[in-house]
Amino acid sequence: MKIKKDEVGWLLLFILPTLILFTLFFILPILFLLVSSFTNWDGIDAEFVGFENYIKLFNKKSFVRAITNNLYWCITAALITVPLGLIIALLLSHRSRGWKVFRTVLFVPQVVSSAAIAMLWAAVFNAEYGLLNFILDNIGLSNYKNHNWLGNVRTANAALIGFSLCYVGYFMVIMLAKTASISEDYYDAAKIDGASQIQKDFYITAPLIKSTFFLCIILAVIFNLRQFEYVYLMTAGGPANKTQVLVVYIWNELTVQRLGRGSAAGVIMIALGAMLLLILRRTLKSETYN
Amino acid sequence: MIKLILKKLSITFIAISFTVISSVASAEITITWPSIWVGKDSKTTVIGELIDEFNAANAGSIKVVVEEQTDYDIYAQKLTAQIATGDLPDIMTVGAQLLDVLHRSGKAMDLAPHINSDSHWNNVYPENALQSAMTDGVLSALPYELFVTPVTYNKKILKDAGYDEFPDNYDDFFKMCEAITANGKVCTSQMTGKNGWTSMLWYSQALASAGGPDIYEKGLDHPAYVKAFEVMEKMYQYTTSDAVGADAGVSGGHFLNERTAVFMNGPWFIARYTSDGIPGLHENIGVAAAPMLMGGEGSPGGYVGGRQSSLAAGKQSDPAKEEAIVKFLKWLTIPENVARLSYSSGAMFIVNADLPNDMDRLFIEMKQGISDAPYVAPIFQNGIGSLAVASEFPQALSALAIGDVTPEGAVEMLQDAE
Repeated sequence: MKIKKDEVGWLLLFILPTLILFTLFFILPILFLLVSSFTNWDGIDAEFVGFENYIKLFNKKSFVRAITNNLYWCITAALITVPLGLIIALLLSHRSRGWKVFRTVLFVPQVVSSAAIAMLWAAVFNAEYGLLNFILDNIGLSNYKNHNWLGNVRTANAALIGFSLCYVGYFMVIMLAKTASISEDYYDAAKIDGASQIQKDFYITAPLIKSTFFLCIILAVIFNLRQFEYVYLMTAGGPANKTQVLVVYIWNELTVQRLGRGSAAGVIMIALGAMLLLILRRTLKSETYN
Repeated sequence: MIKLILKKLSITFIAISFTVISSVASAEITITWPSIWVGKDSKTTVIGELIDEFNAANAGSIKVVVEEQTDYDIYAQKLTAQIATGDLPDIMTVGAQLLDVLHRSGKAMDLAPHINSDSHWNNVYPENALQSAMTDGVLSALPYELFVTPVTYNKKILKDAGYDEFPDNYDDFFKMCEAITANGKVCTSQMTGKNGWTSMLWYSQALASAGGPDIYEKGLDHPAYVKAFEVMEKMYQYTTSDAVGADAGVSGGHFLNERTAVFMNGPWFIARYTSDGIPGLHENIGVAAAPMLMGGEGSPGGYVGGRQSSLAAGKQSDPAKEEAIVKFLKWLTIPENVARLSYSSGAMFIVNADLPNDMDRLFIEMKQGISDAPYVAPIFQNGIGSLAVASEFPQALSALAIGDVTPEGAVEMLQDAE
């Protein structure tokens, strides 16, 4: 679309409020973050320290562990949560009896406070009185009678990331909405050609909601890069920093008055997020944006 | 016509002016206090009563409004952020580890000028208590609550395991734990969640026992830090299966329900032995000094503790509000009010207060313990002098508890955080 010369003024006028707000709440804070990341700012005093914060961060095992764990969260979401959401969306798109009930039940975690969910799951995983150990004990797996799921190196991450699968409903609803927009003509034609339901799902529905599926992957990666409340409330990054994630790490730095180093961790997180998004955009470009 | 409009406008202007002036003149000063003494805290009831009484006595002029903060750790983190942003609440309860930061920020109200304005605080505080809390002549926070953390133990569980008295050294202590475990009970309540509070208190005891009360001046290279972690490593062999990741509620809950035999916390927990413990628990509780490490630099009967909560206020631009805040702080430090607080909760305070004769038995035993103690060493969180190291402690402890690091490795984690 070509913009006429006399329209430029109006265009700028309409963009200006958004531009001002975007600059105030995004650009300036990011610039501030960048500048403070080169200082030893403790909330009171600040001195320029160059790249010291960045060097110290990358020498910290717990920080590297936080990046790795965030990547685990993202990969799990992209490879398990979103595909699971797709499968459920395909099944519910048949509008079988009771599909609305399933849709509602699966979406419920989205409308419940994440803090409440975290506390609930922490209780489920508790070693002494947790529901999970009670069930395992009652089905004969007495080895797990007092297993501390969130306090054990081998199970803490799995327990945390595993329970995040209950958020499958969010992506399911997005993809289900997309299936509603597919013209019935395709299915009628397939029916005439004798296609089974699975064939219709695989050869008509799935390809037509591919762009939404990839959008969900991008959303899932963004959400999981910002993972905070579940980790903070259920393990606080422990035991031994094994479940540490970037935002909890940043929060810890801020609470011990190392705001400069926390800012550096924030800059790294933004860079990591931008890098992941660029990779995803390049990989999924044709499907997502065309 | 224009005259009429001008006349009407003038009348309206005068009327509005009167309304504004009268509303300003009669404006009630609201003091906000994000308080941790709410919910399950043992001071909740009396603090609530004191605020209600203060509000009633100052109805129409001052009103104290409490913002409930039920998580001590998150409250401290919130305060840290508020100190950094300069957005301090009117009144706050500050832990010892934040006092230095609060003072350096220069954003707290200086209470020093108010000490000399009348004799109240000079009369109610012990000699030099306020002067020693000043830095460069500035009093950023009013010292308020004191604490010590002796061992509290369940006499019934110990007796069932063949022990009439609490062991005075760690060798005998772990033999006792063995006997308690053989009896089907758990020896100690531990935790690594949040700031690792109750375990951090044990670590502080072991540290003072191994390195003496001045251990924090000797640096993290001192072998006492490793020795104290060796004690903790063993301690975690005799604790509940949920200790790694548990918070203070879980750790205390086990003792309150007689699942564990030994527990360590401050005197403010005394009231909860009756209010939240299983029936008869309070009668079964004994108080003792922590065990000693053989060959350590500490002395038998040594306690850890110190200054717990202080009361501070955000700097005010309105002198009337500053006066109102000082008036409320004075109300909280009136000896009779402090005595009520102490009586109901078991907590100890710096203010000189005549306590009733029928104070809780455990409170009296703890007070006696302080009198007999050769020293009261700071707890690790306050003594180490680094928020980063104190914050890393729960991670180092959990790494040790799950066998991820050795005691030397746990100390390295602390050094790495410095």
